[in-house]
Amino acid sequence: VARTELVRRARDGDRDAYDILITESIDAMYRVARLILRDYDRASDAVQEALVSCWRDLPHLRDPERFDAWRNRILLRAITEEARRRRRDAVVLSVIPIGSHPDASAALADRDELARVFGRLSVEHRTIVVLHHYLGMTADEAASTIGIPVGTAKSRLHYATEALRAALDADARAAKGRVSA
Amino acid sequence: MTTRHELDRSISTWLQAEAPDRAPDDVLEASRERLRHTRQRRAWMPAWRYSPLNNLAKAAVAAAVVLVVGFAGYQLLPRTGGVGGQPTVAPSPTPSLLARGTFTALDGWADVEIDATGGGSDVSGRLVATAQTGTFTIDLECARSTADGLLWIGGDVTASTDTTYALQGSRTAIVFKRGTPAQAVFVFQINDPRSASCLAFFDDMLKIDDPTGALRPIEGTVELAP
Repeated sequence: VARTELVRRARDGDRDAYDILITESIDAMYRVARLILRDYDRASDAVQEALVSCWRDLPHLRDPERFDAWRNRILLRAITEEARRRRRDAVVLSVIPIGSHPDASAALADRDELARVFGRLSVEHRTIVVLHHYLGMTADEAASTIGIPVGTAKSRLHYATEALRAALDADARAAKGRVSA
Repeated sequence: MTTRHELDRSISTWLQAEAPDRAPDDVLEASRERLRHTRQRRAWMPAWRYSPLNNLAKAAVAAAVVLVVGFAGYQLLPRTGGVGGQPTVAPSPTPSLLARGTFTALDGWADVEIDATGGGSDVSGRLVATAQTGTFTIDLECARSTADGLLWIGGDVTASTDTTYALQGSRTAIVFKRGTPAQAVFVFQINDPRSASCLAFFDDMLKIDDPTGALRPIEGTVELAP
């Protein structure tokens, strides 16, 4: 069954069709939530909330072919809500992956520094970084997905990218200092 | 200094490595469990409200349509007296009965109680709805039957905790379609100028859209004027 047909069926209340859709979507949604929220429980809660909201509001989706973009908007809202809800007791986790890395040239120290700085960014800045650098969206597409002006998206992306650049440069300088010492 | 290209590559590579391969199984299971108990919000907002083609809608009345569903219209009531029913051969308790019943609308969106008599611009009665968005009361003022078999009953929202649809002081209507099961839809005037009268509200709404497509069956009973 074509994906748009599944969306149509789900929109008409077909729970089985929706189950297929969420089974296909949940991994991608969880990756985005986990990257932005940096926490297993919070990412799980945001994804659950988004999936329930999508089901509840699916009859409002006019164009089934826009399902993914529409779902992403709902997911980002859920992520933002989750971040706000738990801001007080938020704990930033820096997770260094264990195992093979797609780019062997990336130093562990770089990753550690990126994780540290990324974790210190606001959820809004982390969101734009993930949309642009992970999902490959342009600033225009990210702005549309988040629901903010393009200028704001570009500004956030610039700020976040420069913060990450500073982290990498600082780490590079430290490494050079260690080598020359 | 890290070049832009190197920086972009580093960030993307790092994010790819950071992202988990898949969601934990318990997220999917927990989501499924929640979904089992979650109903969809049906299409309360008619498509015209968002349609760029419908400029008239922007200039005229902005309304939201809420479908109300219900099982068993008066046609389903037993022909002889019995528990929960009324003999349809007997005269109506009030000759000018317009609508009376208790039902659940919109697949559970609202529990509705309506008791109205009269017709035209001389309607009295009240509709009380306990909806997911709040509780509201409509003092009913007017009614109209249309050629296509719809019964419009309208009035003002005189009490409401609903700040989404049934705004206090706004014109609102419920539209019934007779049948088995009976169907219904709410029409709310939300953010446009208040119609000049209760009956004018029906006209204003019909200029924008036909609510027939938004009708949904109800769960419960409603007795409607013939």
